[in-house]
Amino acid sequence: MSLLHHTSDDAGLATAAPAVSLRGLTKSFGRDTVVDHLDLDIGKGEFFSLLGPSGCGKTTTLRMIAGFSDPSEGSIMVGGKNVTATPPHRRDVNTVFQSYALFEHLDVRGNVGFGLRRKGIDRRAIGQRVGEALELVQLADRAGSRPAELSGGQRQRVALARALVNRPQVLLLDEPLAALDLKLRRAMQVELKAIQREVDITFLFVTHDQDEALSMSDRIAIMNNGVIEQCGRPEDVYESPTSVFAAGFIGTSNLMPGTYADGSVAVCDGLRIPVPAGHGLGGGEQVSVAVRPEKIWLSELTPDMVRVPGTVVSSSYHGATTQYLVAIAPEVTLTVLEQNLPRMSPEDRWTPGSRVELGWLPEHAVLLR
Amino acid sequence: MSARSRRVERRPAVAVAVTVVFFAWLYLPIAAVVLFSFNSVKSLSTFRGFSTRWYADFVHDADLVTSLVASIGIAAVSAVGALVLGTMLALGLSRIRSRTGRAVGAVTLLPLVTPEIVTGVAALLLFTGVGLKLSLVTVTLAEITFSIAYVTVIVRGRLAAMSTEVEEAARDLGCTPWQALRLVTLPTLVPALLGAGLLVFALVFDDFVLAFFTTGVSPQPLPVRIYSSIRFGVSPAINAVGTVMLVLSALVMVLALIVPRLWGRKSSSLDLITGA
Ligand SMILES: Nc1ncnc2c1ncn2[C@@H]1O[C@H](COP(=O)(O)OP(=O)(O)O)[C@@H](O)[C@H]1O
Ligand SMILES: [Mg+2]
Repeated sequence: MSLLHHTSDDAGLATAAPAVSLRGLTKSFGRDTVVDHLDLDIGKGEFFSLLGPSGCGKTTTLRMIAGFSDPSEGSIMVGGKNVTATPPHRRDVNTVFQSYALFEHLDVRGNVGFGLRRKGIDRRAIGQRVGEALELVQLADRAGSRPAELSGGQRQRVALARALVNRPQVLLLDEPLAALDLKLRRAMQVELKAIQREVDITFLFVTHDQDEALSMSDRIAIMNNGVIEQCGRPEDVYESPTSVFAAGFIGTSNLMPGTYADGSVAVCDGLRIPVPAGHGLGGGEQVSVAVRPEKIWLSELTPDMVRVPGTVVSSSYHGATTQYLVAIAPEVTLTVLEQNLPRMSPEDRWTPGSRVELGWLPEHAVLLR
Repeated sequence: MSARSRRVERRPAVAVAVTVVFFAWLYLPIAAVVLFSFNSVKSLSTFRGFSTRWYADFVHDADLVTSLVASIGIAAVSAVGALVLGTMLALGLSRIRSRTGRAVGAVTLLPLVTPEIVTGVAALLLFTGVGLKLSLVTVTLAEITFSIAYVTVIVRGRLAAMSTEVEEAARDLGCTPWQALRLVTLPTLVPALLGAGLLVFALVFDDFVLAFFTTGVSPQPLPVRIYSSIRFGVSPAINAVGTVMLVLSALVMVLALIVPRLWGRKSSSLDLITGA
């Protein structure tokens, strides 16, 4: 596998510069601004995910980095080199396309070796590197097959090998797993992550699937309407969302809108939720408090918890967990996720109509503007 | 098997009868031509026994053989010419996204619905207008013009089925736009191109109307030659010529259907026309 790694001399030069660096990157179609002044640095060897709903500009961003689409404004650096005006075939970037875009007239070997042949590498070396890449994606036994003879998962692997074998500075992946069924997708997520560690190439991975982004990425950028709402490690964007959109898009979040005053938020008459300090609010601002469903307790509350009374509206059993909807005010219903622990029996579950007391640790409440 | 599917499988007698009558109507006259081309006597109504004398007549008629060769030549050159121009047109149209572009795309289909006699008269007026002497060259030019639309339709169909990402993948992997076309797009189109070329060959080979309007005196394309000879009385040799043409055309059509499948593709581009 060693041949898939960067050789030490080409790595030496570029360690300082980020693998990808976007500055004010903007794309407009007519009056529509689809990507809006994006600033982003992606480190060498990072598994970076661009996560956002369909239509938020993820593909457009990738296409600009690959060179298929000219930015309306801004610049793109790859490995410290400005490539904004470089045509795609001269960028040290490869793409795994959403449709895989395999060459139907070539067999698997021909597809994977295509980029190396363009570079004029000698046949022996091509044969060896193609062989290694096919080993890596576990397709060595299908080297002579036509793409039409392969399953969806296998086509996906060919597309991956075809891009990886060129050892680009950055690999761009546009929802590469979206077309696979759920089980295969889960398996490929694990495998793709393992492959990325093995080859040590920067991955810019586009997805609209939050689970995928959380489980695979070193860092995630949450994109919405052409702008990056939040960027950080998976645990940071999950635990400390900085916007209502980010809180809602990753995982489920209980949002309690209200007015801030004196260290707490008034959700409605008689219901004030204390929030952690350090937000710099004066008072009177319209804000939201967000608490994750699994951070809320229904029993075994401790003295340091924020406590709120409520009424169970519904309960649904999910095997490992039970999900409750609990009304804490006429307009405010919270989702609560409780682990079904070994010592709990089915009779321990709350039934609709039960009066309960909810509790969470103050630091688990996030204040959103 | 469910009761429902069994009911579908039982063929109603009426449908069978209609189908038989239809095929008889369609193919009996042709079968008669083939049968009488092997007649041992010079009769077009009674079959007296098997012989190949009319084929011998045909082979020894220098004029007819020259016409056959001319027709094959016209068809081959037209196929290649229409293929080159039609493919270029299809590639160009696939790269235009504007409304005007799509309108132009629709106009290219016009030759498919224009009555051939109109095309023929127009071609004749054009050639005599610019002072071009009518010959096999003018026939070929007219046939190419007429056939481009077929190639364009077939190639555009294949291009539409091909993701635009395929060409981008080629560029991503180091191709200039020209290399992407040469190394990826055109090879992907090969089955469609073969199918389209064979179809044009078959259509042009036995085309009468355009050939009639645009040909010179000698040599004439085979269909025109047959038509003129019939005016001097019908010889069973004509049946032999017709049978040869039939076999040639059928062969080419079968090739056009089969060849793309040899490329490991599940369907031929001609399925568009055959409805398979
Ligand atoms: N070539 C184009 N012309 C006009 N609008 C486009 C074009 N490409 C993309 N868009 C628009 O840009 C927006 C973002 O698209 P895209 O980047 O594909 O989103 P995503 O990949 O996040 O789903 C969409 O609203 C889409 O309609
Ligand atoms: Mg997309």
